[in-house]
Formats: sequence, C-alpha cells, structure tokens
Amino acid sequence: MFNSSSRIGRWIAAGLAVAVLLSVFYNVVVDNTSKGEVRKIEDYTPWDEATLKVAETLPLQNGGRIKPLSTYAGFTMLGLHGARSMKISGSKGETFKIKPTAWLMDALFRPHLAVKLPTFRVDNSTVIEAIGLKTRGKRDRYSYADIMPARDKLMELKGVYEAIAKDKRDPVQEQTVLLAYNVEMYEGLFGYFSFARSGAVLKGSGKAGEADEGAKISSVMMAVPEIRRLNSQNEATGSKMNSRHESLLQQLVNAATFAQFEIFILPPADRKETAWMSAGGAIMKPLNFPKQDFTREVEDIKLLETVSLSAYQDEATFRKNLISFREQLVKRAEDRGEYQHVKLEAGFYRMNWFLNALYCFIFGTLTAFGMWTVGRGTAGRILARCTSVITWIGLGLCITAMVQRSIIMQRPPVGNLYDTIIFIAATVVLISLVVEWMTRRRFALGIAPILGTLLIILSRRFELGDAKDYMDPLIAVLDSNYWLTTHVLTITLGYATGLLSAFLSVIYLLMRGLALDNGDRDMRRSLTRAAYGMICLTLFLALVGTVLGGIWANDSWGRFWGWDPKENGALLIVLWTLAILHGRLGGYIKEWGLHLASVFTAAVVTFSWWHVNFLNTGLHNYGFTAGKTTIWAFYAVVTVIIIFGLIVKAMEESQRKRADLKVAVAI
Amino acid sequence: MELADKPSTKAHRSLPGKIFDLLSGFGLATVTLLLLGILTWCATLEQVESGLYPTLNKYFSTDWKSLIILPDFEALRINDKLVPIPLPGGYWMCAVLLVNLIFGGLIRIRKGWTHYGNLISHFGIVFLMVGAGVTFHFSERGNMAVSEGGTSNVAEDYFEYVVEVSEIKEGKSDKIHVIRGKDITGLEGEKLRKFIIPELPFDLQLTAYMENCVPVSANERAPDRQQYLADGYFLMEKPKQAKAEPAEQYTAGCYARIIQRDGTKSAPFILAGASFQPFSYRVGERVFTIDMRKRLWPMPFTLKLDQFTAAFHPGTRTASRFVSKVTRVESGSEAKATIQMNEPMRYEGLTFFQASYGPPGAGPGQKMYSVFEVVKNPADQWPKYSLIIVAIGMAITFLIKLTSFIIGGSRRKSHV
Repeated sequence: MFNSSSRIGRWIAAGLAVAVLLSVFYNVVVDNTSKGEVRKIEDYTPWDEATLKVAETLPLQNGGRIKPLSTYAGFTMLGLHGARSMKISGSKGETFKIKPTAWLMDALFRPHLAVKLPTFRVDNSTVIEAIGLKTRGKRDRYSYADIMPARDKLMELKGVYEAIAKDKRDPVQEQTVLLAYNVEMYEGLFGYFSFARSGAVLKGSGKAGEADEGAKISSVMMAVPEIRRLNSQNEATGSKMNSRHESLLQQLVNAATFAQFEIFILPPADRKETAWMSAGGAIMKPLNFPKQDFTREVEDIKLLETVSLSAYQDEATFRKNLISFREQLVKRAEDRGEYQHVKLEAGFYRMNWFLNALYCFIFGTLTAFGMWTVGRGTAGRILARCTSVITWIGLGLCITAMVQRSIIMQRPPVGNLYDTIIFIAATVVLISLVVEWMTRRRFALGIAPILGTLLIILSRRFELGDAKDYMDPLIAVLDSNYWLTTHVLTITLGYATGLLSAFLSVIYLLMRGLALDNGDRDMRRSLTRAAYGMICLTLFLALVGTVLGGIWANDSWGRFWGWDPKENGALLIVLWTLAILHGRLGGYIKEWGLHLASVFTAAVVTFSWWHVNFLNTGLHNYGFTAGKTTIWAFYAVVTVIIIFGLIVKAMEESQRKRADLKVAVAI
Repeated sequence: MELADKPSTKAHRSLPGKIFDLLSGFGLATVTLLLLGILTWCATLEQVESGLYPTLNKYFSTDWKSLIILPDFEALRINDKLVPIPLPGGYWMCAVLLVNLIFGGLIRIRKGWTHYGNLISHFGIVFLMVGAGVTFHFSERGNMAVSEGGTSNVAEDYFEYVVEVSEIKEGKSDKIHVIRGKDITGLEGEKLRKFIIPELPFDLQLTAYMENCVPVSANERAPDRQQYLADGYFLMEKPKQAKAEPAEQYTAGCYARIIQRDGTKSAPFILAGASFQPFSYRVGERVFTIDMRKRLWPMPFTLKLDQFTAAFHPGTRTASRFVSKVTRVESGSEAKATIQMNEPMRYEGLTFFQASYGPPGAGPGQKMYSVFEVVKNPADQWPKYSLIIVAIGMAITFLIKLTSFIIGGSRRKSHV
C-alpha cells in the first residue's frame, strides 16, 4: 500500500505529531497545574456555590468600566497566582478547587484563611532565597503566611530594585519587585474590610478597669459633624481638641486607608460623577466634604459592616446579607445605566468558552492525525467527519465568545494584542474550513484544529503573562468603532491568511519531503493553488489594511505614514507577498520556491504582529514584553522548515539528474 | 498578470527595447520589492537605536550621497564592529519601483478583461506613490499652542531652525528678516556663507552649523573638538542618550559674524536654538537682534480656543476624549469648529489635529491650553482615493482568481 520512503515518512510524521501533542499537553495540563504538594489547610471550608453565584455578579468599577466581581477576581488571581484556580486539601484530606471568586471572597471576608492559601506564584526560587526564606521547588507557590517573616526584607529589596530602571533590572530583581507589589496588593484585599471587623475603640469609655467600648465605623462617621462642631467651639475658646475626638477621627482615617484602593464598589449618588467609590472613599466623605450630604455613604458602610461581620456567622446569613447588598448595588447601577452587561460578562467567564473551544480543537487535532494516518477508507471518512464536526463546534464556541466580548465591550472584536490572537484563531479555523470545502482534500481540514489549538494556547499564555483585563476601554485614539472595524479587522485578517498560507506550505513541504502524498501531483497542485490563493488574499488584506491604517493615521496624527514599527511591519507583509507574486509571475520561483517563500511569510507576519511590540518604540506599542524567546523559537522553527524544504528539493533534483543520466546511458 | 512581450522576442530587441524590458520587467519588480522590504526592516530596527528622524534622513534622503547606505544596528555589529552591508537608498528604490510600475504595470502589462483588475491596482499604487512624493517634497508641518480664551495665527515648524534678524523700534521688533533652514543646514564644519540683506546696514556670515547642540561655557567644560570660542562659550553637540531624542526636541546652533559694509568683521558669536536670549547688535543708534529659532508659519486665519476638554475613563488615567472647541476668525467673520482625536479640522488646505494639551495635572477650573498639529499637504486625501482604486482593482483580480480556482478543478474529492 505504501512504499518504503512513504512508510519512513509516515513514522517521522507520526513522531512530529507526538512531539506537537506532547507540547500541547505540556502547555495545557502541566504548565497550568500547581507545582509542589497540595497545601493542607485544616480549617478550610469551601464557599457554598449559591453564595459564589451571588458574589460573582456584584458590580464594581475597575480599569475604567463597570464589571462583575468575578472578572476582577479572575484577573487579580491570575496576576498573583498565575492561574485561575488553586487546589488545597482540607482536614480529612479532601481536595478543594478554589476558583477566582472564592479566592477573592476568602481574601476579603476570611483573611485568617486567605493568609494560608498558596496565593503567590514565584517563578524563580532565588527570589525567595534572597529574602532569607526556605525555598520549595524552583518554581512554586507560597502563602502570605510563608512570606510574612521576610516581609520587611522583601520591601527593602523592592526599594533597592525600584531605583534601577525597569529595562535594566535582571529577572530576579524584576520578580522580587513584582512579588512585593503582589504582597502589597493582597494586603490591600484582606485589609479592605478591616474597618468592619475592627471598628473603632472609644478611648476612655471602659469603666473601672474594663476594656474600652467599641463602635462601628459607620457610627463614627455619623458623629463627625458633632465632633467638628465641638472642635470649632474649642478652637474659638482657644482650647485643645478633645483627645477622645482626636482619636476617633484618627481611627476613621486609618480605617479608610486600608479600604481606599482596589475595590470601587459604591456607585456615587451624584449622576454626573462617573467614578465609583471605594469603602475608604465613603468613610472619608464626612471628613473630606463636610458640606455635602453623606447619608448614602453611611448607609453603604453600614451594609458593608453587616455583610462583612456576618461572614463569621453561618453562611446562610452571610448570603442573605450579601444578596441584600447586591440588590441595592444593582438597582443603583441600573439606574445609572451601568449594569446592562455585568450578568453577561459573569456568564462569559463562567462558560469558559475559549477553554472549551481549546478542548474541541485538541480533540479535532487528534482525529485529524488519525485521519491522515489511516488514509483512505471508512475509518478515514469517519475520522474526517469527526474532525470537521468537532472543529466547527470549536469555531462556534470561539465566535460565540467573541460576539459576547463585543457586546460587553461595545466595540468591534479587535482592539488590542490579545483580541488579535483570538480573532486570528477563529478566522484561521474558518478560512481553513472554507478552503477544505473548496478543495475537499483534507489537508485544510486537518490544519484547522491544529492552528486553532496553537493559537488558543497562545492566547491563554499571553493572558497569563500579562494578567490584564483586555475588555477594559481603549485609549482615545483607538476609540473609533469605524476604524477598528475597517483597518484593524482587515490587517488582522491579513495576519491570519498570511499564517495560513505559510501553514499550507509547511504541509506541502512535509508531505512532499516525507513522501506522505505518494507522489500525488494532483494533491500537490491543489495545495499550491490554495497557498497561492492565500498569498493573494494576504496581499489584498495587508495592502488595503495598511492603506486604511495610513488614512486613519492621517486623521489622528496628521500623517499618512510615520515609519512606525507597526506600520513598517504591515508594509513588510505587503512587500513580501508582492515580491512572491511578481517572482512567481516572472518565473523566478516555481512550485518549490513559492512554498519556501510562503513558509517565510510566517516569519514576516510574526515580525509585524508580535516582534515590533518588543522594540519599545512607536505609537502602536502595546506594552507587552513577555515571551520574546518564543518569537525567536518560532523563527528557528520556520528556518528549520525552510532548510528541510531546501534539502528535499536538492535531493529530488539530484535523484532526477541521476534518473536522467541512467536514461541517457540506456539510450 | 502577464506582460505583453514574450521573453523569446528579447534576443531581437534593440538597446532601447532591452532597457525598456529591464525597467518594466518582473525581475526588477521582484528585486526592488525585496530591497525595499530589507530597507524597511533595517530602518525599523535602526530607528530603535538611532531615533526616527536620523534614520529616515539616512534611508530616504534625496541626496545623491544616499544612493548607497550602510545599515547600522545591534544585530549587524560583531564586537562593536559594524558588518558593512551596502544597500541602495530607499528614496531611489522608490523611484525605481515607480518607473517599473509605470513601464511594467501600466504600459507593458497585458490588456484584457482578466487583467484589468491588475491594471487598475497598479494605477492606484502609482497614484499612491506620486502622492507620497508630493507629501515628501511639498508638505509642511508645525504645531500651534493656544490657551483657553486665547488666540493664535502662527504655527511653529517642528524641525526647521531659521535665523531671524530684526530691528528694535520702540521696544518692539520691526520687520523680521528670515534666513531659511535650507540655506543654513549645509554650513557644517568649516563651510561658511555670507548673507546679504540689503535693508540692513550689515551682512551676516554663518558657519559651523550643528543640528543638535547646546552652548557651553568653556569654564565648565573644555572644548573637545577644537570648537570656536565665542565670548567664552562654544557649541557642543548634544551627547547621545540611551533612548534616541525625538527630532522635535533638537536644538540647532551655529557661529555667526557681523560684516560691516566696510568689510570689518565682528567677533564670532553663537546663535543657538537652546539660547533664551537673542544676540543684540548696535549700529550707531539702531539696535538689531539676531536669533535662531524654529520657523514661525503664519496662518491665513486666527484660531481662538473656546474650550478644551480632556476626559478620562472613570477611575483611571486612560484618556477617553480630547476635545477642542475653537472659533476661526477670518476677515471679520467667525466660524465655530471642533477638533478632536480622529476628527481633525480641514480648512483652506490646512489640517489641524488635536496633538497635545496642558498644563500636566491641571486641576478643576484651571485654564487649559491645547496644542494642534498643523499640516499643509496638497496630497492630503490622495491615499484615500488610491485605496479605492487599488481595492477595486484587487477585488476584481481576486474574484476572477477565486472563480477560476473553484471552477478550475481543485475541488475534486481525494484523500491525503
């Protein structure tokens, strides 16, 4: 059935497939699994699912928009923990999986447990060693309680390293600074409700040696006008401020300080005011704005105190109070027209669309390899059908997710680098499936789930590296739905088709080089036509997209072309594809040349899409700085494939010459 | 796309015919496109180290000396020694591509309904490149800062330093005589030029021009390149910084002498963009000032800034909107307009863009100022027209190719 070279080729192809699958396995499973042993936290009890459902749709303001608490929790956990879930074990050895909302709820309402959670991901144990702690694995996770003994040292080193410019810091210095920031942020979270837990102490109120009485912070807020009045009287008579009053005001300021940042959960009473308040902001209002009415703020703080304190009672009571608080918040947010997408967004993250799409693509990749391995026959047909169905499902999930994101963001799907990855993933899969529909040769069908898998993994790695919410609003110059729809989508589609043309050519080189196609010229021609068509489409999209970008730049920055690295990158795609097409038309490159050049398109696209962002210059600089090594690895892979193609081409030519010689001798 | 002439006919071609074939051929097109690609790539990497302005001056200069350039960036240096890779200058490669496009893409290209798409696209690109040439040679750019409630009718050039000579009458500058940048920039090193302004009682001699320099006291620092000393000061080239300084912040300078009509020369003095005060010179009772500054560019109307608004996404410092409400005052009549990000004001061949604002960190109620970028570009809208032409041409070609791909038999059932 297969000749010997084809058989060897298939073994090599199978080896490559296994390598790809192992790499996927490593990325998806191993890399996202907690390192080291699962922490045992004996007194840990998981939150009730019903409580978490209430909490996740609490609206708050963060990153310039109103979002559900679950989104904030997800990105905060990702930033500190490096994953959206953590595993711990309880007293009886049972395992609990803590997801972002639960993790944040622990930090806010159960700090005594939160300090034991292995929250901080440390990628290099040297950082831990430098602050004088006992290290665990090279890359491991540490709890606040682990780090606490060396907190002072950590902050001291942070101060030293902050004095070094960011781009001059070595990785250990940078990670030390980051760890310090993360520790401070975590402290901000579990200190947030300390005003409710600790309240205020009424100095001197204890009678006959008894402890002083306590008061709620909301009560102290209400007392501020009276304290102020009494203080004015004292000032008028030249007397000093009453020390008890002074102590109360100081406690109010202290309570506000811990609740000042991060969670901006209280919609302002004034409709014109766009910034929401933190609990700290509300506490400070009687002091900062004495002439304004602060009844609303007092009520808010009372509610927060009730919610926070009930976390130490039974969970049902806590949930009831949380529901009551959420209802108030939601009503106020709705009145301001700021709640319409919060539920949708909470649902978006709950559904985990892209992860489910990734599972589909991984399954599709497996069936595609099976399809290619078994070749013709019923099994091949069944596997092809499976690949097609599962890939379409994966694509459907991606599209659903992108549509939901667009509704939430109220803008077209692409506005930043993260958006481009998921958009390219979806479009590459879609175009591959369309090419398959046109060619019916199963090479494009197989490519679809493989590219889908690789690109969704890339998006997850990118999200992990940056831990930034990419649904946040865009800066003024980008905030144009017209240009985002025309220029950005066109140029991003150009990246997608450029990558697809390269991948089609990779398949061509592998099939021909490893003799997987059994010399089927029809198949080769079909692949060549598909790759050529994709190069033409890339040129069309890149050229139109680039000129559209120029027109946009002419409207926003006053120049059509500014030699900005991102613009140059797009121009490089245009020039490269034009050179390929003119070289082909002039007969300077033929089938081999076309595919070798097409493979190089992947490097050109990568330079334009990713590499220019690392150059740290220009107006299109998105600030993403992690993963430079991956780009060089990708260039290396492209080079290896091109060299492989050149070797195969040389071998084929030498074989043909030998065959010609034999024929000549025979004649 | 195919060319009308077959290669087989080349052997019988005359010399002009062969030159035409070469200039209109796919070979030249491919090589030119590749070289432009390599130049673009090199310029992208070099600008990170050298800054945008010097890189563009190097790669796209119209100077004949820029026929061949040597890219210079980190990846090309081994042990701090540059590996010389000579490349043709970008401006000249664009010119070659334009010739190739006209000869090959418009004249020699095979005509026929299947090729009209390419013909149209080529025409669109020619139009785009001509537009780029017009912009390169004829556009002017500057900026205008106006405070809320204030007015302005001049823009300041971003790059061009000029020498202004004026007589002071009753405490004010009388007629200002301007020596343009193009007449000064070539006077580097020992080169000198005498400028005769008949209305003045003296001539001016300029020399040793430097693009980016500052006057430094010889007491603070000894001259490092045997620079002239003028009144104890010399011009020192600004040291290169880790991150290249934007060209807008360059401060030019040169040395000058006054030459009296009887031929006597004054002591040399420094004219510098970085100086705060102009040089003053007295001839009898008349007082003159000589200054180096960025060229002021009079506008055909006055612009009044009524209100500037900078809005941020709530709770962040991420800008959401910058809006300048302005009034154009012209020949006694007034017209209101709005200038904001992505929505410039186009009027009388000038375009005003929202570029910047200040003062930084202004509090509520504080008076703001807005900075507009002012551009005069005869080819302002040409890219838009060329895009429409190119898109139509490419869409026609693509649809023809797609149809032939679908009909052409690639959609046969087969297996891998």
